Amino acid sequence: MSRDTSDLLHGTLDLLVLKALSWQPMHGFGLSKWIEQQAGDELEIVDSALYKGLHRLEDAGAITSEWGISDNNRRAKYYSLTARGRQQLRAETVTWKRYVAAVTGILETA
Amino acid sequence: MTRFTRLLPNGVRRAFRLPQSRERLLAEMDAEVRAHFEMRVAELRARGLNEPEAEAEALRRFGDTEDFRAHTARRATRRARSDGTVEWLTDWTQDIRFAARQFNKHRAFTALAVATLALGIGANAAIFTVVHRLLISPLPYPDGNHIVALTMDGDERALQSRSGPAILAAWQARAHSVESIAAMSVRAIQVQDIEEQDTIPAFITSNFLHMLGVKPALGREFRLDEERTDAGVAMITYHLWQRSYGGRADAIGAKIQAEGKPYTIVGVTPPEMGAPISLTGTTSPLHEAAPSIWLPGQLDSIGGNVFARLRAGVSAQQASKELQSIAATVPRHAIPPPPPGRRAPPMMAQRTGPLCCAHAIRAQDLVDPAEARAVEILFVAVAVLLLIACANVANLLMARAWTRRREFAVRVALGAGRGRLARLVLTESVTLALAGGLFGIGIAWETLRIILALRPPALANLAGVHVDAAVLLWSVGVSVFTGILFGSAPALLAGRRSVGDVLRSETRAGSGDGASGRMRSTLIVAEVAMSLVLLAGAALLVQSFIALQRVPLGYDPHNLVAMDILLPMRRMSPDERLGFERAVLTRLQGTPGVSEAAIGTLPSEPYQIHGMTLETEADAAGQSRSIQDFSETTMSPNYFHLARMSLVEGRLPDSAQWTRAIVPDPDANAPPEEIVINRELARRLWPNGGAVGARLRKGIMGTSQYFAVVGIVEDIRLPGRGVIGGPGIYQLPLPVEIPLIARLSNGAHLTASDLRRIVAQTDPRPVAQTVINGDDYLRNALAPTRFAMALLVAFAVVALMLSAIGLYGVIAYSVSQRTREIGIRVALGAEPSAIVGLVARSGLTLAIAGALIGVVVAAGATRTLTSMLYGVRPGDPVTFVSMALLVGVVAVLASFVPARRALRIDPIEALRAE
Repeated sequence: MSRDTSDLLHGTLDLLVLKALSWQPMHGFGLSKWIEQQAGDELEIVDSALYKGLHRLEDAGAITSEWGISDNNRRAKYYSLTARGRQQLRAETVTWKRYVAAVTGILETA
Repeated sequence: MTRFTRLLPNGVRRAFRLPQSRERLLAEMDAEVRAHFEMRVAELRARGLNEPEAEAEALRRFGDTEDFRAHTARRATRRARSDGTVEWLTDWTQDIRFAARQFNKHRAFTALAVATLALGIGANAAIFTVVHRLLISPLPYPDGNHIVALTMDGDERALQSRSGPAILAAWQARAHSVESIAAMSVRAIQVQDIEEQDTIPAFITSNFLHMLGVKPALGREFRLDEERTDAGVAMITYHLWQRSYGGRADAIGAKIQAEGKPYTIVGVTPPEMGAPISLTGTTSPLHEAAPSIWLPGQLDSIGGNVFARLRAGVSAQQASKELQSIAATVPRHAIPPPPPGRRAPPMMAQRTGPLCCAHAIRAQDLVDPAEARAVEILFVAVAVLLLIACANVANLLMARAWTRRREFAVRVALGAGRGRLARLVLTESVTLALAGGLFGIGIAWETLRIILALRPPALANLAGVHVDAAVLLWSVGVSVFTGILFGSAPALLAGRRSVGDVLRSETRAGSGDGASGRMRSTLIVAEVAMSLVLLAGAALLVQSFIALQRVPLGYDPHNLVAMDILLPMRRMSPDERLGFERAVLTRLQGTPGVSEAAIGTLPSEPYQIHGMTLETEADAAGQSRSIQDFSETTMSPNYFHLARMSLVEGRLPDSAQWTRAIVPDPDANAPPEEIVINRELARRLWPNGGAVGARLRKGIMGTSQYFAVVGIVEDIRLPGRGVIGGPGIYQLPLPVEIPLIARLSNGAHLTASDLRRIVAQTDPRPVAQTVINGDDYLRNALAPTRFAMALLVAFAVVALMLSAIGLYGVIAYSVSQRTREIGIRVALGAEPSAIVGLVARSGLTLAIAGALIGVVVAAGATRTLTSMLYGVRPGDPVTFVSMALLVGVVAVLASFVPARRALRIDPIEALRAE
């Protein structure tokens, strides 16, 4: 099932980006691919939203960027997690899990 | 290449990056999205879509392109704005962190630099505290510089005269330059207080605390209506509150007796409450004489010292001008001339000066010029000391810069500009200086305690002084300034070397770096010169101080105590007053510990009479001589004996005349009153002799009165101040305000309270005012010189030490640079003495150059000391030569240590190394 991601909460996309970058530095296209693969093509990322998210995270100091060369020899901007980003990822993961548990709890009992 | 830069830590990347422009940021985001597009299209093509299909799909997946373009524009603008500052700040913190690491790595260097700077900055902060408190902002009240004392005709008592109330009323009604006018006085009433302790009441106007800008420590101030009615309310001082009420809140509402009437305590004044400006000169009354109870009084009837708070932006001169123009419109009461045969009381005489000026006097205006001078000189001296400290640290930094030249070269190779390097070096030096400043404040604190121990009189109110915000600000300012100062030399050098040169050149040996070496030598020469200037100044002051203590005073101050007694004119008849005079003298004479008592002031403190003339009788040719200002001492006949003053000619006045002064004598032809004059007056009016037996006329408002000169007494001199009071006359007392003086037997001690008790036991009506001790007085008179001398000596010694350390550093460094050369010489069989000579010679050359320059500068600079010198001239050759020799000896010692180290150089090692 393909779904438009514009209704994905901003925070959710940020969380996914942080999670992705916790493995290795990636460029925007790579991130989009990674998230879609991990979600088993359940999610389709709107690319402009992804880049806005990346810029937002970079401005907040959670990630930094550097130009690099992609695997197929293209110049691309690579993003990597900063210490602050790592911390944010940990904190938001916990929050997210509690949130999901609470919502799921309500949905399953009511 | 890009892969390589990605491996570099962020800090390094940022260190060499320029702040980004908005266009650049936009272009970067554009490039990023374009790359994304290409990859997306490539991926879709790989899945089998054709070119147009793939592009359409990629565009769809990208979403709203318009919205994204707006987003990038906003972001670029925002970041371009913040980036500049952010880059700077991150660079800055990075520089500081780097500096901290450097310091941690080179602890000995850091410790030496910080200690040197702490000395310089600390001495500076301490003296600045004094300057601030003495000359810039002397009063410890909010906006204290707006508080002035108001006087008329150069006499604070003029406002107590009959014209006073009218003038004050006119000022209050019409003066725009002052916010409020308030008064304080000590009045002759007795208070029976709790615990029978001495309690002196003073009257204040209800706005007095408000004028000072202080709030009661407890309770409330007086209300305006309490000034006018007999409200029966009192405030007590903080001191009395602590002493008698243990600082308890229930002191408010307690009753206190004064003149048989009960007063209710409504408030406690804060500790800093007091007369803000003392017009009575440099004497320091003992603390016990301070009032402890305040009663409300009206401005025009208090008859005390009048103070005002100036409006913001109004200068004391402007206020004086306005007050004068108002006072000029008030009709003045002329003081009636005394009836014939009766003397005008000296106090009145003082009031009859030219009806001229209203004066708003600031506390700064009353600082003893000698003291102000001493402080100014010290201020310059600490500035010089700081320069020496800076030169030393600059030297240390330059020596280190040489060893760091590779580091700098690498930075330049990586793209750091000269500006960036200079900033790095300056950040290091300012950080060092701030660390020095931090310790310096501790040193300032200790130095202040020493200054307070030396305590020149004008600094008496400095007791509560502390390192305050102004001083902290000053220290930080000085630290940053010195940091930039001593950092700028190495910073300039840092950017100067060409990269290739440094990276290519062998590090070892040889000439060192020419520019740096020259600059270091110059600094050392300057240091030695500056130290010599300080040393010469200090040596001159020491000689003056020694000479001053040998000055014959003309009296013996040892064991003398003196006090002023105010006789209430209305409540004591002339006979009662005369009777009191005799009775109190008898009682004082009979007090254990008192060997002799007399009427008279301390010989060093005669009344000063301004605006009156003393004139000789016309001689045969109809010529007479006159003088304008003189001093006057009232005395009982035994005064000269008590003070150990010697009569150089003639005799004492006939003591039978003692009673005369107050008995109106109808016979105007009675023989004139007999007086003694001092040598100075005799010299001025009778340069050819013949004073004794001559007659002298004292002019008062057009009338005059003749005196017969019967004797001449030796002048009174104070160290560094010449003849005290100038020309002076000594006459028998008039019972208005009688000064009492006593010589105590050796080892006896009489406190101010004892003296006041003796007065009170004789008669409760008169009030003892100030009590002065002869020894204290002399100590105070010497204080400015002693203060300047002690501190200047200390600063000069520190300066010499710093120069020696600097010299040592330079020589030791040159030895380390010349290890190879010395090794070769030793290997070739050079004598040890030749090696020592080789090394020491370079040190001595610098020292001699410095000493020569120093002597020339000191010859000019010590001239500013002229007013403080006594018995020695500013350019004294003996002083200069001996100080130059001292500098030479220290230079030899400083060079000798590294020279000895040079001797121990093992030629084999030296040649093998590198």
